[in-house]
Amino acid sequence: MAKKDLANVTADLSALASSMPTQRPAVVPVTAEPPVLKVVAVPPTAKGETITQFSFGLRQELRKQLSRLAADADMTMRAFVLNALKEKGLSVRDDDLADLRKERR
Amino acid sequence: MSIITVATTKGGAGKTTLVRLILARLAAMSGLKVAAIDADFNHTLTDWVTTAAKHPITIRHELDETKIVPLASELHNSHDVVVIDTAGAASQATIFAIGCADLVLVPISPSSADIVEGIKTINLIKSASMMLKREVVARVVLTAVQPGTNIAEHIENEVAKAKLSVLKTRLHRLVAFQEMSFTGIAPTSGPAGHQVSNFLDDLAALGGLPESMKIAS
Repeated sequence: MAKKDLANVTADLSALASSMPTQRPAVVPVTAEPPVLKVVAVPPTAKGETITQFSFGLRQELRKQLSRLAADADMTMRAFVLNALKEKGLSVRDDDLADLRKERR
Repeated sequence: MSIITVATTKGGAGKTTLVRLILARLAAMSGLKVAAIDADFNHTLTDWVTTAAKHPITIRHELDETKIVPLASELHNSHDVVVIDTAGAASQATIFAIGCADLVLVPISPSSADIVEGIKTINLIKSASMMLKREVVARVVLTAVQPGTNIAEHIENEVAKAKLSVLKTRLHRLVAFQEMSFTGIAPTSGPAGHQVSNFLDDLAALGGLPESMKIAS
């Protein structure tokens, strides 16, 4: 079998690939200053919208990875998961991604 | 000098098992240089190669889609066979791993989700073929088959209905394949060994293995 020329693979497939999620971890710029906490105003939930609890089990190693990736992206794990699902078509609003922990502080 | 990519957007279908079978059998053949790219978050293949595999296998763990093609090219130039294991989800890295391949294997184990995701993966490969303006050869591999059961018959009917091209050899749910994750040795005897030999013969017939291996396998 002859050696292949893979030089054009990236260019030829870039349009198709761009519609897919990346596997690269988010890069967080390193700064000398500690990050400033932003106070996020959470709009009140529209009337009639019921908030429900949702949980699932997963392997401990996955849980650690999720925690690390969310921390790298400066997001809560809840927001990180919802954000990923948003790319898959889930109707996630900005207020769904709010860090509710900051509200409670 | 061939590249085989194992991909499906469903996890747990048998991707890493297929990769292990290929790597372990080929690495045991003297004179062959075998490499693998582990593009899965879980780095299961990397762990297996570094802790269990009994023969030299070059392993690189790479999640960054921008590095998949250059890495495949580098390993392709210095090894006889490169096998790419992908994550169990559609991703940019999977697309580029498909684009590098001489042959793409899409494992389907007995579940409806495996069939749904297997069809999606085959369609993804067809899209990649169109963009590359060449055919990327792909075959479904039926894994964890329990012959004689209703579910096995149902899976066969479903893949036929979906007009999926299926590899001739079926890999059964056998203890020997599970043991391989600990022993690092691909079965060479018994039903499991026979199935692995047939599996490699199928790959060779499809051009997924270098010419020199067709007889040896």
